[in-house]
Amino acid sequence: MAPTLGKRKRITREELETSDRSASPSSQSSSSDNEDVQDIFRRAFEAKFKPLGVEPKMQKLEQPEEASAEEEESDDESNWSGLASSSPSTPIQTISPPSTRPKTTHLSKSEKRAFMSSKPPSNTSRSRAPNPTTTTAADPTDEATHLKNDLALQRLLRDSHLLSRTPSSGSTLTGALRHKSTDLHLQTLGARTSIHTQKHMPMSHRKGIVAKAAQREERRRAEARENGVILERVGKVGKKREGKREGGVGGPGVGRMKGGTLELSRRDVRDITGGGGRGGRGKGGRRGKR
Amino acid sequence: MADGTTQPLLRFTGHRHLTSRLVLSTLTGRPVRISQIRPNNVTRQGLQPHEVSFLRLLDAITNGSQIEFGMSGSTLVYRPGLITGSVEGLGASGGIIRHEISRECATRGISWWIVPLCILAPFSKGHVNVVFHGEGCVTSATPAGDLSVDSVRTAILPLYKQFGVERDIELRVLKRSCSPGPGKSAGGEVQLVFNHQVRLPKTLHLLNGGRVKRIRGVAYAIGVGGSNNARMIETARGVLNKFVPDTYIFSDVSSAPLIPTKEKGHPTGKKKGGVGFGLSLVAESSTNCLYSADAASPPEGGITPEDIGKHCAYQLLECIERGGCVEKSAVETVLCLMAMGSEDVGRLALGRDVIGDEDVIQLGRDLREFGGAGWGMRDKGEDSDGIVVSVVGRGVGNVGRKAA
Repeated sequence: MAPTLGKRKRITREELETSDRSASPSSQSSSSDNEDVQDIFRRAFEAKFKPLGVEPKMQKLEQPEEASAEEEESDDESNWSGLASSSPSTPIQTISPPSTRPKTTHLSKSEKRAFMSSKPPSNTSRSRAPNPTTTTAADPTDEATHLKNDLALQRLLRDSHLLSRTPSSGSTLTGALRHKSTDLHLQTLGARTSIHTQKHMPMSHRKGIVAKAAQREERRRAEARENGVILERVGKVGKKREGKREGGVGGPGVGRMKGGTLELSRRDVRDITGGGGRGGRGKGGRRGKR
Repeated sequence: MADGTTQPLLRFTGHRHLTSRLVLSTLTGRPVRISQIRPNNVTRQGLQPHEVSFLRLLDAITNGSQIEFGMSGSTLVYRPGLITGSVEGLGASGGIIRHEISRECATRGISWWIVPLCILAPFSKGHVNVVFHGEGCVTSATPAGDLSVDSVRTAILPLYKQFGVERDIELRVLKRSCSPGPGKSAGGEVQLVFNHQVRLPKTLHLLNGGRVKRIRGVAYAIGVGGSNNARMIETARGVLNKFVPDTYIFSDVSSAPLIPTKEKGHPTGKKKGGVGFGLSLVAESSTNCLYSADAASPPEGGITPEDIGKHCAYQLLECIERGGCVEKSAVETVLCLMAMGSEDVGRLALGRDVIGDEDVIQLGRDLREFGGAGWGMRDKGEDSDGIVVSVVGRGVGNVGRKAA
């Protein structure tokens, strides 16, 4: 139909009121047209099929005690049941705004210390507490296997740089690579030095090399410790010889010759005179020799 | 410096942006001449006491700086030296520079000295350890708009972490003080320890401001009852708890600082320094961006703690509303460090009102004047009205570290 301005059918006041009333939940008690129609439908349905249950379930959910009261009433008042069907289907929810009153929660001491200390507060001050328990709970066998795997992996890695460079001729290495692998093998078996180390060089060079190597090793260990990597144990450094060194031939039997004079240390004197209670073993040995 | 004489002087006028110009001059090594410093002001012509005090501080932490004043104090020539930090024999004793701030400087908060000093500190040759003390040392927020030391510590210093400067930075508040009334003394004491020096700060890319996840704060009452703190906290939380439930404000109650009076016949006499109360709030977002607000009782008094608390909370909300990754009070720090970084483009999202601020625009112009590349700006897009600023670093960084 053509839209004609100003000729729209007016909604009468009665119509407006009736439609309004049927929609609004406040007018449930009055028997409106809507309820009548539903009643007719219901009766027709009940005639064909079983009688319907009196009360719908929805009402029970929100207010059970009222629903039960209504159930008792509904026996004598059949019209009343129409009320439930026209009531709003969604239950009324009461949402109260979150209280703006400051809660009396107190932050932990550590958090207070983290914020109020003289340092700028770090962002990672939270979520630190629950960690230690989990780490201690891990069983020690697991730790041991981790250690073992770590060492095995290190061994593999040590040789892998040699293996990666080999041509695909198999396990036989040739030339310099063979020397290197032999060297590695020897070192793992406990050789003091690599076979590649230069034997003869100026003293300053050697000192420099040794110092540099020590420094490099120390840095490597420090870094590994910071990163939590487990390295191999520190090898035994060659032990300092204890005890008296064998003097040269023709030297004095006691003391040291220095600048044309025989110098006797306090210990030598004590050995000779035999005074004092200590050092019995040395004294005895000397006596026997002389 | 030896080549300071060969370089032409950069010329500036006016007393505004003095600290940022001096900082840039020191960082870039370019000598500056600042003229027409309050030329027509009859009562306060030329440099003010706090500005002179800042120049003294620069002189203390650098080696070889030359500072020349004109006769009336309205002209200043500054030839920067090397930033040496608290080096023994150059103003420091026991590794600490003690910088006294006289009573006339009490109009400014101590953050006016500390924030520029912190920008210089990562580029120092040695460690920086400065104690600010004296009758003009105000630790609280001031009516002049300076931050409180708490805000500096909780909102400015954490920003250095993003540039790779994070170790051994401390700001110790030894004595607190509010801003005193005219003719009275403050008497606070603050120690800044900045022991992490770098060659070049890292390039920064901050584009996502995130959402505010927590609010922390410090309420301080100095020489007045601690109940003032409780009242400030109560109102501030009343405003903020609606938005961020994770709000917590710590309370710090301290006695008034005592200042020895030099009266005749009463040699051990002491009088109270600046008393009052104030609040410092810091909001932290999910991407670790910080927004801060500060409010303190004015020296003349007459404002309730509730008003201060509410004022501070609203100020924080306003600061968050401006958006961006860096708030206005921290933007100088961040942009200076970005400009001093490696020769790489760093990006920073800023709120429109933050970048449109007069000081920030002037900072950009000054940076270009000092030989930096200009800033690139573009709209951020992505349904936010922020602006992304691209800053190219100078790639010079710490000259002292390079030589060392």
